Amino acid sequence: MDTRKLFAARLQAVLARPYLATALFALHPVESRHVPTMAVDPYWRCYVSPAFVDRTPVEELAGVWVHEVSHLLRDHHGRGDRYALRHGLSGPAERLRMNIAADCEINDDVFGEGLVAPEGAVRPASLGLRDGELMEDYLRQFRLGPHTAHLAWLECGSGADGLPRPWDLGPRGADGLSAQERDAVRFRVARGITGSPGNTPAGWRRWAEEAFHPPQPWRQLLGAAVRAAASAPGSGDDYVYGRPARRSAAVPGAVLPSLRRRPTRVVVVIDTSGSVSDAELGSALLEVTAISRAVGGRRDLVGVLPCDAAADRVRPLCGGAEGVELLGGGGTDLRAGFARALESRPRPDVLVMLTDGQTLWPSRRPPCRTVVGLFGRHHGSPSYDESNSEYVPDGPPAWARVVTIG
Amino acid sequence: MSAYAPPSENPTTETPDTPAPSGAPAPSVRASRLDVPGALLALLRDTTTAPRPDPQLEALTLAVSADLPVLLWGEPGIGKTAALTQLATTLDLPLTTVIASVHEPSDFSGLPVIGDDPAGNGIPMAPPDWAVRLVRAGRGLLFLDELSTAPPAVQAALLRLVLERRVGALRLPPGVRIVAAANPRSSAADGWELSPPLANRFVHLRWVHDADVVVRGLGGVWPRSVLPTLDAGLLPEAVAFARRAVCGLLGARPALVHRLPSGEALRGGAWPSPRSWDMALCLTAFATAAGASRDVLSMLVRGTVGDGPGLEFLAYLDRMDLPDPEDLLADPGAAELPERGDLRQATLDAVVAAVRSRPARDRWDAAWALLARAAETGAPDLLVVPATTLATLRRDNWEVPAAIEGLAGVVSVSQRADRAKVRALSVTRGNR
Repeated sequence: MDTRKLFAARLQAVLARPYLATALFALHPVESRHVPTMAVDPYWRCYVSPAFVDRTPVEELAGVWVHEVSHLLRDHHGRGDRYALRHGLSGPAERLRMNIAADCEINDDVFGEGLVAPEGAVRPASLGLRDGELMEDYLRQFRLGPHTAHLAWLECGSGADGLPRPWDLGPRGADGLSAQERDAVRFRVARGITGSPGNTPAGWRRWAEEAFHPPQPWRQLLGAAVRAAASAPGSGDDYVYGRPARRSAAVPGAVLPSLRRRPTRVVVVIDTSGSVSDAELGSALLEVTAISRAVGGRRDLVGVLPCDAAADRVRPLCGGAEGVELLGGGGTDLRAGFARALESRPRPDVLVMLTDGQTLWPSRRPPCRTVVGLFGRHHGSPSYDESNSEYVPDGPPAWARVVTIG
Repeated sequence: MSAYAPPSENPTTETPDTPAPSGAPAPSVRASRLDVPGALLALLRDTTTAPRPDPQLEALTLAVSADLPVLLWGEPGIGKTAALTQLATTLDLPLTTVIASVHEPSDFSGLPVIGDDPAGNGIPMAPPDWAVRLVRAGRGLLFLDELSTAPPAVQAALLRLVLERRVGALRLPPGVRIVAAANPRSSAADGWELSPPLANRFVHLRWVHDADVVVRGLGGVWPRSVLPTLDAGLLPEAVAFARRAVCGLLGARPALVHRLPSGEALRGGAWPSPRSWDMALCLTAFATAAGASRDVLSMLVRGTVGDGPGLEFLAYLDRMDLPDPEDLLADPGAAELPERGDLRQATLDAVVAAVRSRPARDRWDAAWALLARAAETGAPDLLVVPATTLATLRRDNWEVPAAIEGLAGVVSVSQRADRAKVRALSVTRGNR
């Protein structure tokens, strides 16, 4: 094998993408006549076909190096396995689909700026898909068929899709990296990028930020926050003398109070002001249903209070989320909603505010636990009242637990 | 119960060749109708074990040996109880399992019992029987299972038990080790969540099952891991190493000493504070004395101070493992360079940086000799940047050393890459 050519290509890749140097040097090349081009395994070995090296120009080889190391940095094999497990997929065809989707995720932004795309590199556009999405998103959007037949030779190895190949040396073979060493290499690359983000493309910056802190789905976070608030001590339980305590038998003659629990009551205040879109309201309604389930499935214990500048009244969520009429559309003042929710009888144990945050907040902490579901605003969009550009809303107060939605 | 084939139920671990009692025929009694089912059960339980390294069990063993409160996060039914059974066997401790969800808070804070003179002597709070037995035995492994399905008041009482080791008026003796288990927040039906101050007191270990292990086990072969034992001869060295590592990192990165978790996603997990760094130091010493792998240490440290600081700590350990540049410069002929490309490059960079910080003719020559040696034994491309930097350090009266001839291959690779770079730039600019 022409190793000098292979290493010259790696050097060119390092010169073009200095922030990937650690990862590129950590890859261990292994000569293999079984792979069509170059392929990686999860243990950071790179299997290289000598014939491929001979017939490919150095600058294209450099592109392949970066492409293959991207599979490993982005943990495509682990993500592929998890996707397959979650969706019950099996078989080589599905793995080929994963390889194609992973390639789309890499190829849409990795080339250019001194790095040549190798011949035949798959791009999302060639499948009729949009750029800039993740492997999991692409996997939902295309199937194998005649239009992907030309991709059937695609082979980036088990490092790209998780399916072990016959030529893989396996976890116990020579020169493999252990789980901790792989994490360490990915961490060093990520820290290099976050440390000097100056000329790194946005795609790699996003990867570096999320490499070890993947964004958690907001539904789980919101559900956990509401559950924690609803089941925390002090909400819904109290000592009463109405029934004898379990301990009473041990203390004859004494009347002991017993701890009784009543179901937690939740009031959801929905911001229906003009700054909240219909789509956001729709997802808010879905969340209301989910929250009612989280508190034990009794819809009569969940109240809904639509609120813009003035609050309506708390309505029970009897007919399900579909039955709630969302009125409003004007400016926002959630303080009215807070006050009205606290007036309702029985008093709520937990307040959930679903809002975009363009509101005034109460100055004092309310006498119950508060969870704020905050609709995320994309940077650059108008974030405050157009008619009054001086007005910048405060963030949610510190006593509320805030979950960003979307 | 969340146990798959606990090893203690396994005939091969305790009493190798004894069949299940139901299979033993009693001579004078006539055959029971349960004999045949009993024989079938005995056959089903007749499994063997094979040795297999298990990093998560090793991590658990070390954390329990270090007497730190451990919290196992894992889905129900994946073998946490089985692991605890094996751990108890290894540490030779009797295992007491308390299922938290079937208890009341008073079971952990004690029941009032009236004596002779309640007004004069007060009312003692009687502890539950398992606690009394534990105190009487003086040692044991207490496993608090299913913490997350217990009502919040019970959870609060249990935390006092885990952290203060008190049950009612009783104090558990130092020989008792405590492990708790909880379901992850995402799968828990009702919220179990630690406040940041509580989370900071635990070693969080994620417990996951391995599909291969389960399949092999159901096929009749369960894994048996050789658990770490501390080497008495290594103890002072282990403490010195752990102190050097933790102090070295925190000296260079004081921001890592204390950082409250920010954001909802990180709540209830591990985060760095002086207390958790102290635990990390202790665990590093234990892992070093036991000769545990970096994977095990990684689990322990990341479960104590959190992912980010834990990874920084491990990266710092990696740097500590690299050869000292001054040693390499002192004797380039005998230098042992790391095999892995990225580590070798980091070593050579450090050597060049050392020459730059204290330039001298003999050091410059030694660095060239090192580079030539590296060119003989490994990939040439990673030498280009160190060699270029080293060349710029030359003073006027220094002659080019003979060793530089060994770098001819490096130069050709570098030139080839430069030509490819020019072509690549013309292609990618042409596309825009």
